[in-house]
Amino acid sequence: MLLAYPRQFRREYGPLMTQHFRDCYRTDEHWRSSFWLGTVLDLLAAAPREHLETLRTENSSMTNLQRNLLALGTSLVIIVAAFFLLTYARSHEVSSILFFGKTLDALVTAGILGNLIIFLLRLTRLDQLKTAFWAMLSVNSILLILAWLIGSRVDRTFSLGSIAVAHFVSFLFWFGLHWAWSKTKTQALAG
Amino acid sequence: MTRHVDPESLLPLRPSVFHILLALSDGDLHGYGIMQEVAEHTAGQIRLGPGTLYGAIKRLLTDKLIVEVDERPDPELDDERRRYYRLTDFGQRVLRAEVRRITKMVAVAQRKKLIPRTRT
Repeated sequence: MLLAYPRQFRREYGPLMTQHFRDCYRTDEHWRSSFWLGTVLDLLAAAPREHLETLRTENSSMTNLQRNLLALGTSLVIIVAAFFLLTYARSHEVSSILFFGKTLDALVTAGILGNLIIFLLRLTRLDQLKTAFWAMLSVNSILLILAWLIGSRVDRTFSLGSIAVAHFVSFLFWFGLHWAWSKTKTQALAG
Repeated sequence: MTRHVDPESLLPLRPSVFHILLALSDGDLHGYGIMQEVAEHTAGQIRLGPGTLYGAIKRLLTDKLIVEVDERPDPELDDERRRYYRLTDFGQRVLRAEVRRITKMVAVAQRKKLIPRTRT
């Protein structure tokens, strides 16, 4: 009879239900037809309810997965758009876009690395907003240090200030996006 | 993160859930103990089968109305495979809210003279 219940429920409560059934059987009721009728009716009422609830839970986790994929997709679109804009500006020497070149560079590199880390950490139980904050802060800081270490050696016109501003803007942009995303998620859950 | 759920939002309770909470209001019980207690205070009208009982227990645990406890009333006499459950403070508040709701309904029924008024 336990086979009629969902696997997860069976694993969690199967032994207890068997014991419960044995306890009932041990009392002097099992010879009564009402005992068996009650057992069958209980099975008919409870098993479909548990299956429905399992389905509902799976649907809700599917929604979470869809939301995470949508967030990842949005990040990818922003990264690709920034990359395309930068490539276009460089090939056509569009100075108005190139003015933001360092920021676009920071947005693309920090976006790829930071969002990859955030997406992987989303599989854990860590607080998602804190994860986004620390991931974006670490990635932007590391990229800034690397740019300073390499840039100052190979490029005489290297300016740490403009790179720092670019990574600061990149951090604000990506963290702001994750913050806004977490707000919509909270509202969706509350609704 | 603490969840702030209004007890009223969980009402009305299913009869099986109400009786389980009522059974646990006297103290910790295991599944079979709950079933016996419910059968006793409903004069045998409600007999919780294993599916209904553990399905309800699962939902009550998820909603934090009850918790599983390790302490046993008498460890020597008891089967250690049994799991004991305890009503939480939140569960207590939900139970009280349901009792208030039922009392109001009874008062309406009394006003409509469907049942005699109880003398106090």
